[in-house]
Amino acid sequence: MMSVKRKSAIVLQGVFDASIFDALKRRKIKEAFVLEGRPGLEAAKQSSRELLKRKIRPTLIADNMAGFLFYKNLVREVWVSCQYADRKGALCQIGGLILGVLGKKHNVPVYAYPNGSKVKLLGSSRELAFFNGVKVAPRGVPGYVPLAEWVPSKYITKVYNGKGIS
Amino acid sequence: MRKARIKPAVKESPLFWPVKLAENGRCLRVLDESLIPRKLRYIEVRSLPEAVRVIKQMKTRAFGQFLVVLNTFLLVLANAKTRSPQALLSKIRTAAGRLNHSRPTFPFAEVTAIVVAWAQAAAAQKADVAASVSKNIDGYLQGIRGRRLQRVQKIAEVLRDGDSVLTHCNVSGELAMAAAICRQQGKDLHFFATETRPYMQGAKLTCWELQRMGAQVTLIADNAVGSLMADGLVNKVVVGSDRSCANGDFANKIGTYQIAVLAEEFGIPFYVLTQPSHKIKTGDDIPIEIRKAKELLVFSGKKIVSGPVGGFYPGFDVVPHRLITEAIAIDVR
Repeated sequence: MMSVKRKSAIVLQGVFDASIFDALKRRKIKEAFVLEGRPGLEAAKQSSRELLKRKIRPTLIADNMAGFLFYKNLVREVWVSCQYADRKGALCQIGGLILGVLGKKHNVPVYAYPNGSKVKLLGSSRELAFFNGVKVAPRGVPGYVPLAEWVPSKYITKVYNGKGIS
Repeated sequence: MRKARIKPAVKESPLFWPVKLAENGRCLRVLDESLIPRKLRYIEVRSLPEAVRVIKQMKTRAFGQFLVVLNTFLLVLANAKTRSPQALLSKIRTAAGRLNHSRPTFPFAEVTAIVVAWAQAAAAQKADVAASVSKNIDGYLQGIRGRRLQRVQKIAEVLRDGDSVLTHCNVSGELAMAAAICRQQGKDLHFFATETRPYMQGAKLTCWELQRMGAQVTLIADNAVGSLMADGLVNKVVVGSDRSCANGDFANKIGTYQIAVLAEEFGIPFYVLTQPSHKIKTGDDIPIEIRKAKELLVFSGKKIVSGPVGGFYPGFDVVPHRLITEAIAIDVR
């Protein structure tokens, strides 16, 4: 197994306003785990690119692998991207709720950070039929493609406003 | 080809029994699950190294790998140029060693130990080792086949009219056949299948076989599970398992743990199909296979992100027993 110390991993989920990467750099973060972000994989592409620019090593994991990191007690903190937040919770990119629930169960802080743009609430079935341009689903099987989800405040430790991390 | 002695109540899914031994015993026909849904093609396996390769390359998985392991002994015996009991015993031990190390998370050693014991007993009695081991393997497989068909019926009993069921990865034909039984019984069911990155077994295999069996199935991304549960779109989770422990913990395809945690959080019953074993005490003792990062970072020959990006691909999750509502078990010992 790769060498990750207990409670050391920073996990990023979603597409973020670029200011978060500057903040991670200022905190001297050396490595971050990046979730793929199906269906478009924009999260994987954007976060990897921005982290590499700042000489932070990105390690990609699939969207179903975050639980493993939690189970092994490797996660220090989680960042999920959101496009709206109020005192009841945040509208996050799809997958944010999984991270929120895992964070609550394992007592790991989950921070919401703006994504800097509006995300559609629902994608098309066709987006799931393909992966990285390759057809994966059998013909005639519909896909249900939520792109954003509400994450109640009980799963979020703090919402940041996009002006950096204090 | 060995004839099936027990008939299923519904049409059998190709994934239920994806490995068949040729009539002359010298070739295994292994369903190449990596080609589904594009093609239904069988790979011919004629030797121990070829058998280990199809397992390592995940051409077949889960129950299919278990079938490859057992049938490989038949292949080894059929290909042996000796009838000497000690020489055959030695070949069986060698095969067991190679198969045991093919994938660390799977409990192949538990099964191969049984075969080695049969061979040892036959050799000690100066009996025909090949005939004895072959007869035992055949009987063992028929027993498992019968118990799996019974489990299909049990799954069908668990599923109620109006249920909306989430499943992950692929449970080797059993869920799809249970869905077909439910359909015959007039139950109206809906299934949601997760994609199951990185190999997409949910998208490629589960959707395909559920659709083939006439079930209604919708594909979701692995990250949509929380949304589905929070919105009340599923009321049961059914998954398979690759390895079980004495305390009830189990290992299954990566992604199963977070689904189980979410099911607990949202009060959704979580069912798992298990093969109980007492060889390992708890889930913490299960060795988890970490596969090559390339399998995650490259899909169909194309990189999914550019630049020097690392990847981490644990093949399995461990799910603690306390997250399980009910284990639908069969005894394979």
